[in-house]
Amino acid sequence: MATEVERKTDIGPPHFEQFLHPLMKENYGKWKYHETLEPGVLAHTGDAGTLYSVRCASPRLASTNFIRTMTGLADKYADGYLRFTSRNNVEFLLADKDNIEPLKKDLADLNIPVGGTNNAISNVVHTQGWVHCHSSATDASGLVKAVMDELTDYFTSEKLPARIRLAVACCLNMCGAVHASDIAILGVHRTPPVIDNASLPNLCEIPTTVASCPNNAIKPTSIEGKTTVTVDEDKCMYCGNCYTVCPAMPLADPLNDGVSIWVGGKISNARSEPMFTKLAIPYLPNNPPRWPEAVDAVKNIVEVYAANAKPFERMGEWIERIGWPKFFDLTGIEFTKYHLDDFRFAGTTYRRSTHNRY
Amino acid sequence: MAADVSIDQLADDMYEIVADSAGKKKLKAGDLTKAMTAKYGDAITRKDCKAAIKQLIDSGRCVYGYFGGSSIELPRTEGAANE
Amino acid sequence: MADDLKIPLLEELEKGPWPSFVSDIKSMADKSEVAADLLRQLEKSYEDKRGYWKHGGLVGVLGYGGGVIGRYSALPEEFPGVSHFHTVRVNQPSGWVYTSKALNEIMDIWDEHGSGLTNMHGSTGDMVLLGTNTDELEPTFQALTQKGWDLGGSGSDMRTPSCCIGPARCEWACYDTMDLCYNLTQEYQDELHRPMFNYKFKIKMSGCPNDCVASQARSDMAIIGIWKDEIQIDKDAYAAYMKDGFNIKDLVVDMCPTGCITADENDIEIDDSNCVKCMHCIARLPKALAPGKERGATISLGAKAPIVEGALIAQNIIPFMEMEKPYEELHDLIERIWEFWDDHGKARERIGEFIERVSLATFLENTGLDPLPQMVQEPRDNPYIFYEEYYAEEDEEAASDE
Repeated sequence: MATEVERKTDIGPPHFEQFLHPLMKENYGKWKYHETLEPGVLAHTGDAGTLYSVRCASPRLASTNFIRTMTGLADKYADGYLRFTSRNNVEFLLADKDNIEPLKKDLADLNIPVGGTNNAISNVVHTQGWVHCHSSATDASGLVKAVMDELTDYFTSEKLPARIRLAVACCLNMCGAVHASDIAILGVHRTPPVIDNASLPNLCEIPTTVASCPNNAIKPTSIEGKTTVTVDEDKCMYCGNCYTVCPAMPLADPLNDGVSIWVGGKISNARSEPMFTKLAIPYLPNNPPRWPEAVDAVKNIVEVYAANAKPFERMGEWIERIGWPKFFDLTGIEFTKYHLDDFRFAGTTYRRSTHNRY
Repeated sequence: MAADVSIDQLADDMYEIVADSAGKKKLKAGDLTKAMTAKYGDAITRKDCKAAIKQLIDSGRCVYGYFGGSSIELPRTEGAANE
Repeated sequence: MADDLKIPLLEELEKGPWPSFVSDIKSMADKSEVAADLLRQLEKSYEDKRGYWKHGGLVGVLGYGGGVIGRYSALPEEFPGVSHFHTVRVNQPSGWVYTSKALNEIMDIWDEHGSGLTNMHGSTGDMVLLGTNTDELEPTFQALTQKGWDLGGSGSDMRTPSCCIGPARCEWACYDTMDLCYNLTQEYQDELHRPMFNYKFKIKMSGCPNDCVASQARSDMAIIGIWKDEIQIDKDAYAAYMKDGFNIKDLVVDMCPTGCITADENDIEIDDSNCVKCMHCIARLPKALAPGKERGATISLGAKAPIVEGALIAQNIIPFMEMEKPYEELHDLIERIWEFWDDHGKARERIGEFIERVSLATFLENTGLDPLPQMVQEPRDNPYIFYEEYYAEEDEEAASDE
């Protein structure tokens, strides 16, 4: 048995300096420029020398086996230094240029793609889905795998006009903040929670359940002398917060849950200002394990964009230039009443000019 | 003037409020702080309230809960939302 | 035993060129019944097209109100391995830099105390250790702290701050994101571990307007590096690009959002007074152009996902602040914002929604900030102004006497 040790709290994370590659320490704040040697391989140069970063994909939902494989490669080629990017890629930090090719070969043998730099589709930012989440309308890891299997070629190359940032969120709580991505897949519930009136009084605290609704759609009521709740279906936006506190209000609906597709958001300030994603396709069915409808829809948008956008024009910038009618025209996506906003400030999205292209 | 009201006293007062509202309303840390400020005014500070909450939690008299936002509650059976 | 692992739908996801999470979890299934049952339950989800999880509510380690997310299977009898499947968030180091040794130590801990499954990393930035039971939480926590690691945030607390790699590997970093991220995380340990706010508060730090950590979309406070003076130009390097046939007109001059670049094969001039620091030209010509020398950060507030009042992208609140140790001005600002939001915010109201509800003017007044034209796209276009200064009748007479 472990001996009793003093319980530590509030120590915070370790200081990052102990994890920095020696070249990162020496060039800290003094880097001069960087180059892309090939897709997935960056070279950053400062007075102390050049550091090579080799970037590869990861499933993000990764086992300790996968991480140990990565650390093993870092030990073999990168003096034990590696990092993760904000989009869940792994980066090996190499001082020796001659290690790039052997590392790439080892990664290729493990079937791990190298890429994700510049005008590529980088790894997908995504949420937990059916792997871990109680309110998910779809799976996230499976969708990502199915989509990226079709788009791996865009990860390992830089042949797009500009980068495409993909995101997947499994319900509108959007833990992955997909609202500013070039293309986002968003899981949607389309029906309010079903109330199990028989068990609710025993399972749930009524005040807590009422308070859990962000839209005040839940009210207490009495059925056969027992206190339960009702949901104002017009107010419900299917967030699942009530199910969080009350298991007698399941939201999952296999018949109606599915995914929606959103386009044209961006975060960087390059050229244009950051933009929200906008609705492209309001509903596609959940069709595991490979979600062919969603995969085809994303691939179609990517290919139409790739064929039509100018160099360094992001998805949203391209659509702004050609106009939304043409976007729907070129992609063959149907424009429906669901594309018309009806929430707060909906009017700001209505066109108030004669600027139409014919 | 903070010495007028001890941290123990604040923790006891807070505990009472939490116990009173159990099953009725989930209280946030801020609700407890506001209640104490209403009761003692300038005789206490935010720091005192933080210390009192820390004492309540560290002693196990209260626990943190979560239902969309965080709350401070009486300890209860694990996974009560699950049973 | 994993011999009876029948997951034909999931096994479809072992095909194809992208790394397969199914193959990866399967590789754990022999030694971890949690991993095996996770796959079994997930297979059922794929069959039935629905999830089978319940939110857990109250689990954690003593003294902390954040860092652990309780999760339970809705089908514990069928899948006992995942009857508890709690998540432990571990505060990542600045910039997600690791050594193999440090990472392997964490993997050892997680193999011993949990499912052996992780997310590297979660949306907020933490290392996410995915799946353990309640009894293992405290031992996991103790093992982590013995190796120098601590938990991240969850619930209504300051969430784990995160930052880009900054000056550690980027020539565009306009301030030390790595150091500031560490500084804020350590300064506000109490706020990180003990939820005391109306709702979550995320802080993200990017070294330049490219915003590699998506702070403008994903954090309540976005601290983005910026410069005030002239873009630095290396004329020799510029000449080298031109010699290589770089298309300066199409790829730079015509794409500058303010048209402030005049350039041809021989020379480049930038009207910096009209430059909005979008970085497009710098990104195209990284050897020839660099951010200016007078550097700091611009601070924006209020980005969030849709719940409750709709998604927001952060709004600019401080056009420029110097970002030097010990960051007192920033600490002071953060604390003023927290105090006002604490006192007047509603439960589950993020700072962005709070500012919209109380009005930007009220927010500025109460946090000691002055209104600036940089804070808006344009001044108001409606005349419903709530005037606070006006003359009483006597004053009016006095005024007309003049």
